[in-house]
Amino acid sequence: MVGQVLTPRKEPVKILKDPLGNSFEFCYQCGLCTASCRTAYAMKYTPRQIMNLLQLGRVDEAAASGSGLLCTACYSCTFRCPRGVAVTDVMSAVQRLNLARKHADGDVRRFYRSFMRTVERHGRFHEVEFLARYFIPNPLLLTAEVGLGLKLLSKGKISLSPPTMKNRKAMAAMFRKAAEIEGRP
Amino acid sequence: MRYAYYPGCSLSGSSRECEEAIQAVMGVLGVKWTELEDWNCCGAASATGVSYLLSLALPARNLALAEQADSDLVTGCTRCYLNLIRAMHYIQHNANIRDNVNAVLAEAGVQYAGTARLRHVLDVIINDVGLDVVAERVTQPLNGLRVAAYYGCCQGMWTYAQFDSVEDPTCFDRLLAALGAEVVYYPLKTSCCGGSLSMSKRSVGANLIGDLLAAAVAAGADCIITACPLCMFNLNSFQNEAGKIKGTRFHIPVLFLAQLMGLAFGLPPKKLGLHRNVVPPDPLYRKIAAGAAASSVEAVASGPK
Repeated sequence: MVGQVLTPRKEPVKILKDPLGNSFEFCYQCGLCTASCRTAYAMKYTPRQIMNLLQLGRVDEAAASGSGLLCTACYSCTFRCPRGVAVTDVMSAVQRLNLARKHADGDVRRFYRSFMRTVERHGRFHEVEFLARYFIPNPLLLTAEVGLGLKLLSKGKISLSPPTMKNRKAMAAMFRKAAEIEGRP
Repeated sequence: MRYAYYPGCSLSGSSRECEEAIQAVMGVLGVKWTELEDWNCCGAASATGVSYLLSLALPARNLALAEQADSDLVTGCTRCYLNLIRAMHYIQHNANIRDNVNAVLAEAGVQYAGTARLRHVLDVIINDVGLDVVAERVTQPLNGLRVAAYYGCCQGMWTYAQFDSVEDPTCFDRLLAALGAEVVYYPLKTSCCGGSLSMSKRSVGANLIGDLLAAAVAAGADCIITACPLCMFNLNSFQNEAGKIKGTRFHIPVLFLAQLMGLAFGLPPKKLGLHRNVVPPDPLYRKIAAGAAASSVEAVASGPK
């Protein structure tokens, strides 16, 4: 058993209630995750350093660093990890903490929120509603994207009519239930 | 074999050229499927930022629907595939996750039993249809076309699906060879394009995209081929931004794999959504026509055997 060679933590660091979230305890700091990571160069703490911070119980630093937000979830680290750490899932747990604690600026938080709110309402992604939710509170963002937006529109790549999922009530109920189980507001 | 096709949000929205090409090519190959009834978004790359449980329950509802329909669930989107296979894998290996996911799914009136079968369009083309059939359908061989085969960071997909190598996948190369194209050496073929960072953190996203474009240009490729709608969107839409970071100007066509297959099958570009590509692929048409002309000259020169 791989677990037996490790010193079990008396008080496991609960970075969240994810069943796979505590797999960082298996990390032996080889750095293969960081070597595999395309965005590590832009992170305050690399994936290896994040695993180390969590092992040391320094969850707040890991979350505040914003490194989780730069994870693209390509899963290269997870597949290469010789210790079976679910690195991508740990990074996403750190990312969730960062967003929930409002470390990231409002635009970034609104990006995620707008996406999920759109899916909650329609069951599917709807470009126009997402863009409205994301851009209207900060029109400065819009000026940077106007050129691309017009190009996509002219190529018929942005559909103005909303998607047509039938059982939208079910989606709303699923979102409510998940929030209840996870204890999110 | 019964297929339930799951297009996903990108293919039915901002990446509709990919969808048009997939449908056209599968028509030529004679693959028949019905769309998964009332499918929902898989959560893309954003669900994990908000809720771990939803990032598994959203794809799981589609898996449950496919179970009800007793069909192989087929998707053409790499991100959807990754989310679906991740949900299958985690639910299968963790009873706690399974119970929580099913508690959420109960609100939608479905349950995931764990018997769903997941397929990628490429998997269907290579393993069910077969490359020999693909080669038979080619009417316009892509002789002389130099292609950078960009697999994208679909490492998850290749591992779990067990139909190709994780670190060195070759299924694109084999498919492109069947079309007559020349695959260039492309060392970044499994490097991530940055996904949604191109929107949420442009400076980093455009830098990664720039690396991929520069490597394809350096390899002398006429075009880049991808099978992921998000890679397709990124590599097409941010060539200006990437060029500014890399101190150069990029203008290299990026095609969806099915679009290039369609061209080799002799389908009209419009039917393959090629008029929607952000970087116009017109130079490729001339190159393909020139390649065809050159090979017919060779055939005449070598004379009857």
